[in-house]
Amino acid sequence: MAGAGRDERAWVRGAQDGSASDFEALFRAHWPRAYRAAYLVVHDAAGAEDVAQEAFLAAVRALDRFDSARPFGPWLHRIVVNRAIDWTRARALRREVGAGEAIDDVPAEGRGDLATPLPDDVVTALAALSPDHRAVVVLRYVLEYTPGEIARMLELPRGTVNSRLRRALDALQGSVDREEG
Amino acid sequence: MTTRDVRDTLLAVPVPDELEAQRRSWTVVREAYATREPVPRHGRRLRLLVALAVVAALVAAALSPPGRSVGGWIRDRVAGEEATEPALTRLPSAGRLLVVSEDGSWVVRPDGSKRLLGRYDDASFSPRARYVVATQGGRVVALEPDGDVRWTVTRPRPVADARWAPFPGYHLVYREGATLRIVEGDGDGDRLLVRSVAPIAPAWRPGEGRTVLAYASADGRVRVIEADGDELWSADPGAAPEQLVWSDDARVLLVVTAGQRHPLYRADGRAAGRALETPQGQDVLDAAFAPGTRAIAYSAYDAASGRSSIVVGGERIQQGEGRLEDVVFSPNGRWLLTGWPEADQLLFMRLPGVSGYVVVPDVRREFDPGGVGATEFPRIVGWCCRPA
Repeated sequence: MAGAGRDERAWVRGAQDGSASDFEALFRAHWPRAYRAAYLVVHDAAGAEDVAQEAFLAAVRALDRFDSARPFGPWLHRIVVNRAIDWTRARALRREVGAGEAIDDVPAEGRGDLATPLPDDVVTALAALSPDHRAVVVLRYVLEYTPGEIARMLELPRGTVNSRLRRALDALQGSVDREEG
Repeated sequence: MTTRDVRDTLLAVPVPDELEAQRRSWTVVREAYATREPVPRHGRRLRLLVALAVVAALVAAALSPPGRSVGGWIRDRVAGEEATEPALTRLPSAGRLLVVSEDGSWVVRPDGSKRLLGRYDDASFSPRARYVVATQGGRVVALEPDGDVRWTVTRPRPVADARWAPFPGYHLVYREGATLRIVEGDGDGDRLLVRSVAPIAPAWRPGEGRTVLAYASADGRVRVIEADGDELWSADPGAAPEQLVWSDDARVLLVVTAGQRHPLYRADGRAAGRALETPQGQDVLDAAFAPGTRAIAYSAYDAASGRSSIVVGGERIQQGEGRLEDVVFSPNGRWLLTGWPEADQLLFMRLPGVSGYVVVPDVRREFDPGGVGATEFPRIVGWCCRPA
């Protein structure tokens, strides 16, 4: 991610100066990961779209105040993940849909051999975790932040991040083991 | 299931409706962007200047005291010299510094003169500092210390953590995404070495002519291999590895982890005595072995108090508000350098204990001359080498 930093800073500065093409470059560079991260936390395509879109709208609103010397990705991802957590909690309160239902729509592609956990299994196991645990897993393994960075993004003690990661991995492992057993 | 399985699976999960969602959202976001009321550039600059003035006043009123308080702390505890340099006008010991700032990578000579090598995101010295290997985007670049490029390797994905093997430096390794690659010292023969590694820098085992490498695999294990890829041993450090450090004599490998226990291994993979343990809530920011010894030096940040400590051989020699980012020894081991972003200072501490002290202020501007606005504090990535 560091390697793209120079381009990204130029895009941010260009977008601040009114360049629609620079803003579009920023959007296209960050949309796929933002949407994937949101989806893996909320487990609902429409919800993920809302979350990612809202994050970009927040970026537009804050664009002029944004320090172009800083990386854009962590700032956006922090908004995405925190909004995804909020969205999931709100959905649970509204009792709209159970956490495991939406992912049944995920096509079963890319299945490996029997020794390899199937993507659906891992995603199903991920869905069984709390949104806070899912967020930590997504930040660590999809967006590739360190535990220290995650702690700062979610304003959590680092020990909490590590323990959530550990518990999440144990739960994922346990779920996959049960599926295979 | 390994952490790599988790990552690979999550990255491969088909996300429904991605392109359509992107198209719909772009329409909405583009509209919001087109109708925003941008703040003119000069307005932003004015705001920035006002902010800088406020920050400068705060620094004068508040941050200088930490700098002075360190001086006071030093005066309270040592009888040695304390020198506050107006700028980085000299290094207190022989060798050259390698520094990475937002502007790029810099070599600092003993007389304090600096050369910007180029806009590289990361860099490290070759053995004996005859070359620098730097990375930027998908490029690995070998440079003379004056910035002349000797060779480059370009990869399709971003690269990082390039490290040159010990003298005579027949190989370099670097990370490309989740893979580790190896290339010969003249830039030829670039090839895949390991398919699945964690995002931390590999560490060559010191020693002339040796080509043994430690790295962290994606499953969280530490692995030690030959340059041809043959594995010598592996171990589970108990928590995610964050830094790998060999002692100068190549007999001990310290694995700094994300936890509180940081194991030590002998060269054959057996445990080397008790692990280094840090208190709950403290993060190790950087660690090193004191040159020529097995004394471990590390900086630990305590999030609850917002303070950092530097410990050498079990003795706390320095502490300060905020983060003391780097632990870099002079080649002769008599000075320890750390960066202190909160005070915008470099602290050179003469060992043992702290028997002398050189403070260099205004470090951000030093490595971003002519810059305006917020600048990240530079990283000290090397101080090399012993006089021949």
